[in-house]
Amino acid sequence: MRWHKTDVSQYVEAKEYIDSAVIPLISLDFSLDIEKNAAQNEILEILASQLERELTGRLMLVPSYYYIKTGNREVEISRLNNWVEHIKTQPFRHVFFLTFDSAWKKEEQALQGSLIWLPGIQSGEINSKEMQGMVREQVVQIGELIRSYW
Amino acid sequence: MSNKKQQVSRRQFLNYTLTGVGGFMAAGLLVSPLRMAIDPVLKHSSSGDFVNVGISVDEINDTPQRIDWTVEQVDGWYKSEPSRSAWVYKDENGDVVALSPICTHLGCVVSWEGSDQHPDHFYCPCHNGLYTKDGVNVPGTPPLAPLPVYEQEIRDGILFLGNPIEREGA
Repeated sequence: MRWHKTDVSQYVEAKEYIDSAVIPLISLDFSLDIEKNAAQNEILEILASQLERELTGRLMLVPSYYYIKTGNREVEISRLNNWVEHIKTQPFRHVFFLTFDSAWKKEEQALQGSLIWLPGIQSGEINSKEMQGMVREQVVQIGELIRSYW
Repeated sequence: MSNKKQQVSRRQFLNYTLTGVGGFMAAGLLVSPLRMAIDPVLKHSSSGDFVNVGISVDEINDTPQRIDWTVEQVDGWYKSEPSRSAWVYKDENGDVVALSPICTHLGCVVSWEGSDQHPDHFYCPCHNGLYTKDGVNVPGTPPLAPLPVYEQEIRDGILFLGNPIEREGA
């Protein structure tokens, strides 16, 4: 389920079946790494939407959470936990964070959801066959990981 | 002297020019209706929206395999290339069957023998939906309708698929 009108209206009718939420965590960085940052943002969005396609009937893809990479992590953690609390009132049983930013790995304990950290895919040609294959492979594995929580 | 030089009279000259200009105008008016009349002949023979999915019939055997392809789609003001998937196999008569992988329950993607507990079935990982090999839902599992079947055409040994057709529930 995506955060779109048609999907959400289906969600409202079948709430009891959709018990997992995925929040992509996307960092914003206008410094030297701006290009790499943008590429990772693009890939993460593709990954998240492909993942949603595979598991539509049980997964809600929440709008992405954007934050400034060099910003105050504690503030972000408390905001994220607010998101999780809000989402869990729906009832959602599982909340997953999807990110390329390894800095979250250290803060994993403080987050009230399961962190799925992916080693960043090096910026290559996004529409190339290799990239598509890699994304598909990643999606299968993330899907398996999520299913192991069900 | 002057009579001999004047081979085209004023009247004749006007006649010629008027016929010429009139003829051009008539031809101009006729072009569009003519173009419309013969239009069907000029059109490409696009029988429906069948797409080459990149697999030849020889490559298909009796074990379902997943194929992915993209179709071009114009949706309001954006053009997109949504990807589509199908499970294809040959049934016992040797006919090609192409099933949509979209679970009829809530739209997850099913996979052939996706669960070790259910061999010879399509399995939906989201809520344990099951379908037999022909795509018919197993009663007692969440889905209420069989998997849709793609319209298909075989041209020169290559598989072309159209739109998925929904089927009545079992």
